[in-house]
Amino acid sequence: MAIDPLISSMRIAGSGMQSQSTRLRVVSENIANAQSTGPTAGSNPYARKTITFDSELDRASGENLVEVKSIGVDTTPFRVEHMPGNPAADANGDVKMPNIDLLFEMGDMREANRSYEANLQVVKQSRQMLSDTIDLMRS
Amino acid sequence: METMAVFSLASQKASWLSAREATIASNVANANTPGYKAQDVTPFSSVLSHLQLKMTATEPGHMQPASLSGATTRAKPGETWDVVFSGNSVNLEQEMLKAGEIHTAHSLDMGVVRSFHQMLMNAVKS
Amino acid sequence: MIGAILPIALDAVRGLVTSPAAATASAATAGGGFQQAMASAASDAVKTLKTAETTSMAGLDGKASVQQVTESVMAAERTLQTSLAIRDKAVAAYQQISQMQI
Repeated sequence: MAIDPLISSMRIAGSGMQSQSTRLRVVSENIANAQSTGPTAGSNPYARKTITFDSELDRASGENLVEVKSIGVDTTPFRVEHMPGNPAADANGDVKMPNIDLLFEMGDMREANRSYEANLQVVKQSRQMLSDTIDLMRS
Repeated sequence: METMAVFSLASQKASWLSAREATIASNVANANTPGYKAQDVTPFSSVLSHLQLKMTATEPGHMQPASLSGATTRAKPGETWDVVFSGNSVNLEQEMLKAGEIHTAHSLDMGVVRSFHQMLMNAVKS
Repeated sequence: MIGAILPIALDAVRGLVTSPAAATASAATAGGGFQQAMASAASDAVKTLKTAETTSMAGLDGKASVQQVTESVMAAERTLQTSLAIRDKAVAAYQQISQMQI
């Protein structure tokens, strides 16, 4: 904990908000590209992106901040749909579709939102506590 | 060297509450970090006993202070509500509940300090 | 130490202060140690003020927490107010005495 634990709280929660923001961005990309096929016949489509968080110990202040460790690629095999007329269809008329489950992504989005709100709540409360302490000195 | 014991106690409590808030911030921020285990601070009553602050009853009619132990729980590994497969044991609802406790306790602390400070100032002014 | 002055200077708050120093201070005052008590009150005020100043400066530097700054400032406020009250009462008493017919 740094000199002022409440300021640390705000910084930690801030790092949480940032990470959840990035998570939301990744999920949005996945949802937007749920139907994105490859450019040429038989080529691979958009591959689902995954995100991993990591706890980062800030040496100067001793705070347990969270950061995005990496944005990776989901290696689950692509779905195959039979669409002979599609530009991306191979010799058999099969098209590889992104390995994205919309229901899952929507659920992930709700979770990311919930976590974001929780971090925001911590920021608000810490700020309120600091403000109340300072108010003691008033008059 | 403090005028009244209540100010020292309120100070200790406020420090403890700040530390607990930072722990909750850490838990909430790391809710999705694989392998992260939820943390909490030791209960205020055990912190108090180390400092040997006692509330003394100066007259027979004075109330005995309610026990401080049991006011908060410490999250031992088995006590958190769930541990998901990623090894992360943070439960957001639990953390939000703790945050609510902190908010109330802190407001009370501030109120007590403000009141006694003003009472003292007014008493001296006459 | 300021807690020792309170029972003497402020009848209104009698019973609030439970510090053991109050007993010794009462005895000292009864025995004529008021001057000593006054001097202690003054030096206490100066000391608390200096502490408040150092802590506030550290706070502005980012080296002290908000709570520490607030606490030291409020403690200085209390000590200063008490010292001022004692000084005012002493001055008033002196003026009364100086106006007595010889």
